Amino acid sequence: MATLEDSFLADLDELSDNEAEMDENDGDVGNEEEDVDMDMADLETLNYDDLDTVSKLQKSQRYIDIMQKVEEALGKDSDGAEKGTVLEDDPEYKLIVDCNQLSVDIENEIAIVHSFIRDKYKLKFQELESLVHHPIDYARVVKKIGNETDITLVDLGDLLPSAIIMGISVTSLTTKGSPLPEDVLQKVLGACDRALDLDSARKKVLDFVESKMGSIAPNLSAIVGSAVAAKLVGTAGGVSALAKMPACNVQVLGHKRKNLAGFSSTSQSRVGYIEQTEILQSTPPGLRARASRLVAAKSTLAARVDATRGDMSGINGKALREEIRKKIEKWQEPPPARQPKPLPVPDSEPKKRRGGRRLRKMKERYAVTDMRKMANRMRFGTPEESSLGDGLGEGYGMLGQAGSNRLRVSSVPSKLKLNAKVAKKLKERQYTGGATTSGLTSSLAFTPVQGIELCNPQQALGLGSGTQSTYFSESGTFSKLKKI
Amino acid sequence: MSSFLLKTLTKKEEIDRIIRDTIDEVLVLRFGRCTDTVCLQHDDILAKSVTDVSKFAKVALVDVDSEDVQVYVKYFDITWFPSTVFFFNAHHMKLDSGTADHTKWVGAFHIKQDFIDVVEAIYRGAMKGKMIVQCPVPPERIPKYQLLYKDV
Repeated sequence: MATLEDSFLADLDELSDNEAEMDENDGDVGNEEEDVDMDMADLETLNYDDLDTVSKLQKSQRYIDIMQKVEEALGKDSDGAEKGTVLEDDPEYKLIVDCNQLSVDIENEIAIVHSFIRDKYKLKFQELESLVHHPIDYARVVKKIGNETDITLVDLGDLLPSAIIMGISVTSLTTKGSPLPEDVLQKVLGACDRALDLDSARKKVLDFVESKMGSIAPNLSAIVGSAVAAKLVGTAGGVSALAKMPACNVQVLGHKRKNLAGFSSTSQSRVGYIEQTEILQSTPPGLRARASRLVAAKSTLAARVDATRGDMSGINGKALREEIRKKIEKWQEPPPARQPKPLPVPDSEPKKRRGGRRLRKMKERYAVTDMRKMANRMRFGTPEESSLGDGLGEGYGMLGQAGSNRLRVSSVPSKLKLNAKVAKKLKERQYTGGATTSGLTSSLAFTPVQGIELCNPQQALGLGSGTQSTYFSESGTFSKLKKI
Repeated sequence: MSSFLLKTLTKKEEIDRIIRDTIDEVLVLRFGRCTDTVCLQHDDILAKSVTDVSKFAKVALVDVDSEDVQVYVKYFDITWFPSTVFFFNAHHMKLDSGTADHTKWVGAFHIKQDFIDVVEAIYRGAMKGKMIVQCPVPPERIPKYQLLYKDV
């Protein structure tokens, strides 16, 4: 680990050197640019002339050391790993950890070189950057095209899919770039070579790690594959460190944080390196969350086995992988077909009586009103009044008796909800005067007690006057419309 | 065709056995020929509803052409095919459908739901202890026929 720290410090020093150099270069480049191209001056804020100021990794000591070791290890035959030794002391293991770190660094380096190439090549062919996204493909294409003005002469068949080649040839006809000067071209080609070298180095490192992963953590690599296993071990900082983590942490190892402030993170799926495993790539997207949890859990178990070096043949890992595969398959099978259910035996299930607010509100509409309650009761000793007099007809009970003040239906907001038709009629009678009343209604009522009465006692009981005609209804509408 | 799903009885012992053995379930016996078109329609409806009703009823077909069965044909006075007779716990259940003959249902049912309604009505009545029940089928779907007494 001491060597790593040193190399980090060395990198920091290099960075500061880099800045100083870049400032100098800015001055030089500024003059050059003015001579060459007037418009491009405002585009570039950071000008760098020399590739080496940007991409320092290949020259760094650490890189060279590790690459050397990797070559050696790839060359020689690996002898069987010794059981019983603590994993951390194994020198190969340390190399693996270093390699992991290096591969990340190489990736960053490739990105930097790519932006260098892109900026320089913009003068020639601006749109290429948006057509070819992958940095390595971009480098290859740039190398092949070189300074060529006619893209159709260049054969890109083995580098890119034909759709993109077509796009490139079409946009090259309308591009407003101009061929590069010789020195710039040389620099660009050099940068492309650099990018391709870095890429191949990265591949080498990854291959090495993969091959060794099988001997370091066989069970883990049986489940998630050696590449992802290497990444996981690298990020965790060792197999035992990975084993000590709970499975939920293993699931998010390598998760790229993308949530900007203000955006909720519930829509993101919290999966890290596990997402790149073969298992997860082949599950349908709906089941991915469940599957990632399952894989994380089982891989943690496998890592624990590997940390204690309990099973070096990888049988455990294979068994766990089989288990995972079976479970995922089971999730995907269709639900069992519906059987037609026979009808239940009549009267076998007692009726479930429901209660609650809704039922109570419904019952209120049909409840006995206060007026009806008064009409149902009678005073002791006094005969009640009745609608036809002398005890015939409907009895009025306590209504209208001296001492009670309930004769007319007061406008107490009763919980009764009237029928729509009746409500409409009532409303109209309230608001409109005699203008729209039918000619046959009269407010006079003929009662046997008084003869002619102005107020209709039957109205009080809701029975309505007998002379009210509904045929010439004032609020009714046509009941049936039929097309002739 | 639907006689695959429904049992066809040809012997007197079979009929006796099945009447004795259905306990607490309505037994529906269809008397008829499996070749008659009306019988076919009737059988189709019976077959479709057998699973729905399976918890409280059992359905069986009696082929009227075998000799053993003629005793029953004469006992129930079956002249029109198909005729359906209902039993519950070995009691013969009567059905008042507005026609002259209450002892059986004559003809085919129009829809599956009619049949299920009739069986349910019989079940309810029988569980209450009645021997005759009202038919819940509306009169337009009850097959009409005339009872002739000795060709009069």
